Amino acid sequence: MKHLKFISRTVLVRNENVDEACRMLNRIMGSEGFLDQYRRTRFYEKPTQMRRRVNYEKCKAIYDEDMKRKISFVLRTNRPEPFPGCY
Amino acid sequence: MFGRILRDFCRRPALLDGQNVSRYLHVTLPSEKNRDRRSYLASVPSKDEGTEGEKFVYIDSAITKKEDMFPDVNTPNMLFGAVKFSEVPICHIKSSSNNTILHVTKANGERIMIRSCGMEGFKNTRKGTNIAAQATAISLAARVLELGIHTVRVKIQGLGPGRMSSIKGLTMGGLKIISVTDNTPVSWNPLRSRKQRKL
Repeated sequence: MKHLKFISRTVLVRNENVDEACRMLNRIMGSEGFLDQYRRTRFYEKPTQMRRRVNYEKCKAIYDEDMKRKISFVLRTNRPEPFPGCY
Repeated sequence: MFGRILRDFCRRPALLDGQNVSRYLHVTLPSEKNRDRRSYLASVPSKDEGTEGEKFVYIDSAITKKEDMFPDVNTPNMLFGAVKFSEVPICHIKSSSNNTILHVTKANGERIMIRSCGMEGFKNTRKGTNIAAQATAISLAARVLELGIHTVRVKIQGLGPGRMSSIKGLTMGGLKIISVTDNTPVSWNPLRSRKQRKL
């Protein structure tokens, strides 16, 4: 698909706040994975390196998910017993 | 700590077949070396790639509304001082790790002015700094203002120290920036790139 010029990957500057626009652009580019992919493709990534990276990312995603669930469990509000385990 | 204990332990003469043979096992140097490298790497400031705001969110920007920050169908026809958005001159910025090139063109791509850190008088590694990029941008802005161009759209390409600082320089030089576009060439099925650097 052809990306339209100055429509895609574009942030308008409002109130002459250029810094805000740049930060927004960087954040979107980073969260979409453009910047990581750009950095990764500067040099050839050997297949072993790629496997290692992908495995690491998988493990990290699983760990993050578990940890997120744990934290939300500990920080939950409106629980029947307000301080579980404390007498 | 572990290295020191082991070293003291190994300094004692060991008894082998009734004769004193003192042996040394050196572990301090490799372990200290490793630690030195780690502390050195921790103390080195991270490389400036002009990607401020990629990892951290500023609270004031997170709570404001963002609907009017993104272009839509009507954006090309929006007027900026009696000029349509699609006809405003473009400032192309190519920032690499070693240099920054700023290039102001008309909307159709005709060249108006080109400046780079090397042309500005910075040589060798000094070209690839954010200060050089900012100085270049300021001088470019001054030259372009003389030609009667006051508003530009910015198109950035590549990651490098000049990515953010050149935009800052343009605003400091007096140009009005109405939009920021990223034009970094990113491919998900790229050609084989050059081999890794050996460090």
